[in-house]
Amino acid sequence: MTTFHLGGDKRASLADAAGLVRDGAMVALGGGLCARLPMALVRELLRQDRRGLHVVGSAHSIDVDLLVAAGAVAVCEESYVGFEQDLGLAPAYRRAAASGAITVRESCCATVLAQLRAAEAGVPFMPVRGIKGTDIEGLHPEYARATCPFTGEVLVVVPPLRPDVALVHAPLGDAAGNLHLDQPYVLDERFAHASAQVVATVDRLAPTAEVAAAGVTVPGHVVAAVAEVPYGAHPSSCYPGYAYDRAHLAEYLALAAADEIEKYLDLYVHVGEEAYRDEVDPVRLASWSESEADWRELFR
Amino acid sequence: MTPWTFDEWFVVALARTIADREVVFHGFASPCAQVAMHVAKRTHAPDSLLVEGATYAVDPVPVFVPPTSNDLALHRDAVYRMRFEEFFDAACRGAVDRMFLSGGQIDAYGSTNVTGIGPWPHPKIKLGGGGGGGNISASIGTLTVWTTRHRSGRTLVADLDFLTDIGHRTREGTRAELGYTGGGPQWLVTELGAFTYDDEGHAVLRGLWPDVDLADVEGATGFDVRRDLGELALLAPPTEAELAALRAVDPLGVRRSEFADAELARAFP
Repeated sequence: MTTFHLGGDKRASLADAAGLVRDGAMVALGGGLCARLPMALVRELLRQDRRGLHVVGSAHSIDVDLLVAAGAVAVCEESYVGFEQDLGLAPAYRRAAASGAITVRESCCATVLAQLRAAEAGVPFMPVRGIKGTDIEGLHPEYARATCPFTGEVLVVVPPLRPDVALVHAPLGDAAGNLHLDQPYVLDERFAHASAQVVATVDRLAPTAEVAAAGVTVPGHVVAAVAEVPYGAHPSSCYPGYAYDRAHLAEYLALAAADEIEKYLDLYVHVGEEAYRDEVDPVRLASWSESEADWRELFR
Repeated sequence: MTPWTFDEWFVVALARTIADREVVFHGFASPCAQVAMHVAKRTHAPDSLLVEGATYAVDPVPVFVPPTSNDLALHRDAVYRMRFEEFFDAACRGAVDRMFLSGGQIDAYGSTNVTGIGPWPHPKIKLGGGGGGGNISASIGTLTVWTTRHRSGRTLVADLDFLTDIGHRTREGTRAELGYTGGGPQWLVTELGAFTYDDEGHAVLRGLWPDVDLADVEGATGFDVRRDLGELALLAPPTEAELAALRAVDPLGVRRSEFADAELARAFP
């Protein structure tokens, strides 16, 4: 049963925050595609050698691929994992799917949404409009078909999805765990309410009045822990602070595609988060706001 | 007339599948469709309602189209951004008129595979995945299906290795039999030609690009090439206004990432 997290100071070290994720946990990943991904938490889970995770989300990229590459994942239940036309397929995910190292239980954005809503509302199922007759349906023995008692339509129905933990990165938050996000929120609000707990990182902790003035997207009463980690979404974007780090992503993909993930882990994960941050070029990633030409340059 | 390249012409054809006053959406990893929506909005479909891919921004004027589709450059200054829930609810209840869909494989009925090539559960090539397509392809008003990889011979197939998104029928039956509320594919546009769909929901070749022969299409298509060829306005040369709109919205040429080099070398007139 999802309960609120009341009272007190939710501030934690990154290590303690990530420590709330257990081996084998169902983990909802916030953000989407290559924006506002909870990358510092992902890196910390790898430092702590987490195993057997069941990761769920909508459309994702380096967060899932890196967790899979390092052997932390048993089941993937996203609607998409990849780097779009820019950098292509997700190499570790592709390899692990082919070898059977992970179970791919691919889902659909609207199905995940329906399942989270069932969890939030405390109802045992929700119907969806499609999926019927697709091969996605066959990947999910937990789905069923049911006849609508009012219209007689036969629809696919899906059970609640209640992640053990939602990992969310926000540009701004306070000590009580109130988080401010900028749109698109993707599924972060739904994950926050459907999951047993939210574990968050923020680029900056601020007084409650400042977070309230910016707007609270995820309230502190669903958050178990919040760690201040500047560049906590890097190499994904977290505007206005930083754009997508295309050079870093390309370096990751080259190593992952060559099956040299150990090299990436040595360079960027095992070194610790402070050393990782030293490698980020803050001026370049903030240059998007200087001019359109500067912004375009970040994507070349 | 300004010369143009094939990638430009292709995007213009996709844009022409959009009617004015339609609510139109593209998924992520779809730069040709993304650029096409903005071309339509700036030319023949000014009153279309454009929902921008992974940002769900309504009628944004992108700074430029970046190569990743959840990026602030796409929705800066948008007056309104739908929530994820708001968009998917609209799409599921039938309030969205058109979506663009592609796939690693596409069958004769416009169903697509964006999940994996080769037998499940261990596909030889795990593709990215379908995003929201598995539900909203069933319920959105109509679909424009496209591919830039027809010539490979591996894309338009008789049988999908995996059915992710729904065309006019699945192995289980037709749209009507399955109770889908949307209308299914209207167009299939490829780098060889353009198809519509007949009463059985099967693709029918309606036009060829001027540097393509029927034999090219027949040799590259895994299903029976039904045809009803004639003049097709969809494939008419781009206008100056269409080219100008396209070049303004896609200065990085993100659309080009969908094409093989040989296709990018096709220049006109």
